[in-house]
Amino acid sequence: MSKIDEVAALVEKGKAKKVGAAVQAALDEGCDPQEILNVGMIGAMGVVGEKFKNNEIFVPEMLVAAKAMKMGVEVLKPHLASGATGALGKVIIATVAGDLHDIGKNLVAMMIESAGFEVVDLGVDVPNEKIVAAVEENPDTKIVALSALLTTTMPSLRDAVAAVNAQPWRSNVKVMVGGAPITQAFADEIGADGYSEDAASAAELAKSLVG
Amino acid sequence: MIIIGEKINGSIPSIAKAIAERDADLIKARAEAQEAASEPFEKVFLDCCASVPEEEEVETLKWMIDCIQEVSDLPIAVDSPSARVLAEAYKFCNKPGLINSVSMEGAGEKIDILFPIIAANPGWDVAALCCDDTGIPKTAADRLRVFHDIMERAKEYGIAPNRMHIDPLIEMLCTSEDGIAMNKEVITTIREEYPDIHITAAISNISFNLPVRKILNQTFTVLCMEYGLDSAIVDPCNRDMVGTILAAEAMLGLDEYCMEYIGAYREGLFGPVK
Repeated sequence: MSKIDEVAALVEKGKAKKVGAAVQAALDEGCDPQEILNVGMIGAMGVVGEKFKNNEIFVPEMLVAAKAMKMGVEVLKPHLASGATGALGKVIIATVAGDLHDIGKNLVAMMIESAGFEVVDLGVDVPNEKIVAAVEENPDTKIVALSALLTTTMPSLRDAVAAVNAQPWRSNVKVMVGGAPITQAFADEIGADGYSEDAASAAELAKSLVG
Repeated sequence: MIIIGEKINGSIPSIAKAIAERDADLIKARAEAQEAASEPFEKVFLDCCASVPEEEEVETLKWMIDCIQEVSDLPIAVDSPSARVLAEAYKFCNKPGLINSVSMEGAGEKIDILFPIIAANPGWDVAALCCDDTGIPKTAADRLRVFHDIMERAKEYGIAPNRMHIDPLIEMLCTSEDGIAMNKEVITTIREEYPDIHITAAISNISFNLPVRKILNQTFTVLCMEYGLDSAIVDPCNRDMVGTILAAEAMLGLDEYCMEYIGAYREGLFGPVK
């Protein structure tokens, strides 16, 4: 097994304590840091996401895999060109006003980050003005990802997307939405660019939106 | 959880027969099966109890321990009511295990015989029952008195609390007037006084003479874990019990991200048989 495959296997299994040493071993052997990141980590997280989508693994297994990747990235970072870890661009993520759910949103943030984006997490119960202001403060934002977990906060999601859609810079960003009660039809109706039904698909969607 | 695997005990008729006929296969199979189920637990001891007349016991235990060690690397809990037998039989083990057990019976004679051995063999643990020459104490206060007597003797011999597995003695629920209130008080108090001591229990005693014993056994285990039990004398091949213990550990915050629970499920150690 190559050193990079070893890193990938440890990320997939969520072995957070061992992955740092494996990354170091790969570096010592002369592996390209960018390849360690792309194949050993982002690739491994792609496999994890796929397994999650297929109901082959459980949420905590995805969590520990992402955590393991984070540990590996810590070791890798000094060897990468600056910005290499968030190379796909910046994603601003929030749970909309009136909605306090953060677990699903955090999972999505984690999977998107693991796919190679830089994530700015605004938290939960985020007013529309704050979402708009965050994009303006981060002009390099590629995607705004918004979550609503309750049928009662679906109107709030509609308002948040409307607020983003009203901005002059709207064409520079993509808007993706999700959450338990959200459907593709609802996403289309409120003017979002994309919808995904789980955290792994969200990472795929984000990639396709900037691709 | 620490598991003291109860499947190799001469009080089980099939094991008694295997012992009488010196049929090693059953003993070995029981050892292998328990080892195969040991992965999700902090530690698993294979209890080894002969249940034969005392004059045959040392020799019988030697045969049993040899059988077990041929197929398993798990530490053995050498189990006998006789301190003299234990003082001989522990020597047959090729690695440190658990001496099961001492108590304050015989005016503390068991302790006089066995604590020097425990003190001289640092890898070995010891199980201690909260009973004395008055029998099994009726009240929590009396059991704790016996416990304190045992701990005083342990201190004399320099045996650290984390080498002790205290058995508060479990009696059948069906004749209790206040459920498991006494067990709760004893376990809670011991845990408060000695954070790193081990507290174990022969779980299935709780369900004698009641129907659907497995539900009682599982429920009792969970409640005792909440009180501070960290060790149990059970069958690690009992899938429902394994699942219950792992679920309880996850809920008590002892299993980060439920990975032990998920891992054991993946190993097929509990849940529907595929």
